[in-house]
Amino acid sequence: MTELIAGPGPHDGYAGGVVAASDSVMHIFWLSGMSCDGCTVSVMGADTPKLEDMVLGRVPTIPQIVLHHPMLAEDSGADFMEPYRQAVEGTLGAPYMLVVEGSIPDDQTFQQGGHFSAMGLGSDWSGAMQAVRAADQPLRATDWMWALAPGAVASIAIGTCATWGGIPAAAGNITGSMSLMDYLGGDYRSTRGLPVINVPGCAPIGDNFTETVTQLLQFFEGTGPMPEFDDLGRPAWQFGETVHRHCVKAGYYEEGVFAEEPGDNECLVEIGCWGPVVQCNITERGAINHMGGCMVAGGACIGCTMPGFPDKYSPFYKAPPGSALSGGVSKVYGGAIRRLRRMSMKTGNRESIWDKADRVPSAWAREAGERGTIQKVNAYFYKKLQYHGSVHHGKRNAKQPQPQSLDILRQKGVDLEASVPVLGERVKPEEEI
Amino acid sequence: MFAIPASAPASQTGGGIRHVDFDPVTRVAGGLAMHAVIDLDANEVREASSQATLFRGYEVILQGRDLRDAIFISSRACGVCGSAHSTASALCLEMAFGIQPPPMGITVRNMLVALESLADNPTHLFTRAGPDYSEPIVRQTNPEIWTRAEQTPAPGVAFHGYERIGDIMTALTRFSGELYEESLQMSRLARESFVFTGGKYPHPQTIAPGGLSSTLDPTQMNLSWLRIVEFIDYSLKVVAVWDDLVDFFYEADPRFREVGTGPKNFLDLGAWDDPLVYDGTYQNSPLWGEQRWSTPGAIVDGQLRTTNLQQINIGIEEFVDRSFYADWTGGGAPRYPTDPVGNALSPYHPWNKRTIPEPSAVDWQRKYSWATAARWDRKPMETGAYARLWATALANKLPHRRFLEPTGHSLKMAMPQSTFPETVLEWHAPENWGALERNRARAYALAHATLVAYESALNTYDFKRKGGPDAKVFTHYEIPKDSRAGAGLWGGARGYVSHHMTMDKRVIENYEILGPSTFTASPADPFGNRGPMEEAVAGTPLLSTAEPERYVDVLRAIRSFDPCLTCTTH
Repeated sequence: MTELIAGPGPHDGYAGGVVAASDSVMHIFWLSGMSCDGCTVSVMGADTPKLEDMVLGRVPTIPQIVLHHPMLAEDSGADFMEPYRQAVEGTLGAPYMLVVEGSIPDDQTFQQGGHFSAMGLGSDWSGAMQAVRAADQPLRATDWMWALAPGAVASIAIGTCATWGGIPAAAGNITGSMSLMDYLGGDYRSTRGLPVINVPGCAPIGDNFTETVTQLLQFFEGTGPMPEFDDLGRPAWQFGETVHRHCVKAGYYEEGVFAEEPGDNECLVEIGCWGPVVQCNITERGAINHMGGCMVAGGACIGCTMPGFPDKYSPFYKAPPGSALSGGVSKVYGGAIRRLRRMSMKTGNRESIWDKADRVPSAWAREAGERGTIQKVNAYFYKKLQYHGSVHHGKRNAKQPQPQSLDILRQKGVDLEASVPVLGERVKPEEEI
Repeated sequence: MFAIPASAPASQTGGGIRHVDFDPVTRVAGGLAMHAVIDLDANEVREASSQATLFRGYEVILQGRDLRDAIFISSRACGVCGSAHSTASALCLEMAFGIQPPPMGITVRNMLVALESLADNPTHLFTRAGPDYSEPIVRQTNPEIWTRAEQTPAPGVAFHGYERIGDIMTALTRFSGELYEESLQMSRLARESFVFTGGKYPHPQTIAPGGLSSTLDPTQMNLSWLRIVEFIDYSLKVVAVWDDLVDFFYEADPRFREVGTGPKNFLDLGAWDDPLVYDGTYQNSPLWGEQRWSTPGAIVDGQLRTTNLQQINIGIEEFVDRSFYADWTGGGAPRYPTDPVGNALSPYHPWNKRTIPEPSAVDWQRKYSWATAARWDRKPMETGAYARLWATALANKLPHRRFLEPTGHSLKMAMPQSTFPETVLEWHAPENWGALERNRARAYALAHATLVAYESALNTYDFKRKGGPDAKVFTHYEIPKDSRAGAGLWGGARGYVSHHMTMDKRVIENYEILGPSTFTASPADPFGNRGPMEEAVAGTPLLSTAEPERYVDVLRAIRSFDPCLTCTTH
């Protein structure tokens, strides 16, 4: 875990009176490498906090964000690139974060022009630095990355491409794509002493990103605790657990019940879900606003948050090799557990009154009817164990008077056939659902 | 046509002619630059060259991969319309495998793609194009128009609540405007609706060849459906806003009709399959194509040429004379001289294409873009949500008329009663085609997509209610061993999406993706035609009275296409 340099706390130097709102600003420079813009689209959907609230200065405890983002900017061309140049030159007059979306192509090998990913022109580059491209030729996105990262308070890689290389770095790629942390290398630290922060996912959950930025800024401002990052620079509270642990279908796995084909409701491991070995929080957090999430909707996990994505999880829609063993064990063990649980559920699904009356007076659950001897014996010992050392509600219940008005319509002799509905006709008994 | 002297410096030349680089063009998706030659004396753009600044290698990475990887890899080419690409890829595999999803599977996929439009259309209209018509920009560039807007009543006040045009412009302000913020919030609502069955957004996790893997829990369907209903009122509001805004600009200065004009050439593959007709075969694609909720169509100079998916498919070609790729044809016979039913195929058709990148310096006279010059019948074509309206309206073949009714020159949309009483919207194919009409059409496309999402949701309930095999979401399949070809001819929020694949021995042999902006953001072709966006920028008048060198009308022209450069080049 990385040691961060804390800002002053709210009580440091507190001289009484109300605490003034933060009047500082933080610039964010957004760069795209080999990106699909999916990370941007995710962040535009983030809810906790919302991007627009951060930009409008509506989130107390953090500075107002001045966002330099190609998809959301007001200006184009040289006017848009001007603050990038100022940040590189150190004349911006305010601190900044660098955010990189998309993997990093090996564009620095193109000495004589050419690129896989470009933004701005040679004329936008700082005159104080050695020219990297002719004035009328595109600047490589990777030029801005190496130039901006050293002066940033933090460099954040968003999405699996920027964090680990992602699809552009998959087998067969011809662009030499890599992750931001590999590109900047082992010596890289931000001005606050941080290596690259990695918020993975393809696309990432937007809230994972805005939350991480907020936590970092709160820590820098002295208004929040130190965020914890794991040994790959991921926010530890977001990526510390496997996605399986919070999966709505994990209980099926425990009981050894598996989906046989897409669309089935059970655990998806046998149709290609890698959830048990993938670090992600989408089943807990949801895709947006605590809604959806891959397995929640029925989609198998393909490991899109992991450094090995995609090749180490390919072919998709094929059961992971490890699942033959773990799934097999789960079927034997879980199968037995499941049967015992169904027995307990049979008891739990009966009202105590039914046990005492030895019949079911309601319209539902009529087939539950009388309990057999084995069921009664099971229930007897189950209650013995359950209430041991405590109060035996079964015995207490036996002393209660049984209600006398059960099955009241029958007692009153009400003829349903004779009672006419206000509209339409009564459904015939043989048509009942 | 390309009159720029080879020796012209990149910045200012003599006289009133100026070379201006918009690098990057912001408020578009992906990396786009525009090089324009501007005549400051005539206040007009003379030439324009559109440059895609990004190449990632998706098509190359897909070569030789397991077929089961196709959907999840190819759809990640675009982070805006992942569902459209996922479904295009599924259609492509279904054609190659010879399989057909059950009706419920088709219906839910339709709903997802419609929901994606509900997430994307508002963000185009209000976060990308909208700010160019907002108070701060209009005040700075055309103070006289702002003064007029402040005094002009807005006819659509009953639907959008703004008394005057100036109030609409204030609400369009970047980040702080009401309409800007509301579009982000409505986009969230559409995403929420989407993820109940799609898992996540923008890259969905449930679309599979043979249908999808969604579990369709009744609670999920309910939560999804209620969010769709909210778009009924919102569509009425958005249409009223853009109708008022567009009509106001025309009244204020008729020359706004000339911003971003171009020939009425439109290409759309249609979208949203009929669950009881779509069978996945190329042979029957003319039949199931015309049964879609939007009709496929190729329109040249305002005249509908065909609605036949096969005829549309065989007309597609890609040229790389101005692009950073090597020509793959090599003079020999193409690998596929004909399509599966015997129509002749060009060596430049996607089934015959190979992606061979050759990065080099930008040379406006030679090679300057990562985009290919995608053409239909060798003509530059506009694609987009508005091309969908054009084709559906002109063809007048739509079989699904519960809420939609084309007339041959317009498309009527019956918005069901929600807060407002039932209201019929009518989009008319306009006489003058340009930047403002593209945006107006996009607003009506939001209403169209809302109705498709709404009707699809009703259809999911109907299939569930009837039960049986039609209510299943997935068909089992075996991957064939022999050599096959497939095409996913489809559409997303921005219109046209196609995936062309050839396979052999259970792996992908070649995979070619075309998005809407592969056509619109394309460079010049070998036949002397500019790309549609280049054509729209060239000839655009510069109408700003206060800040002519801000070139706001050039940017309005570009953004009206809602170009998506990640869809353009892969």
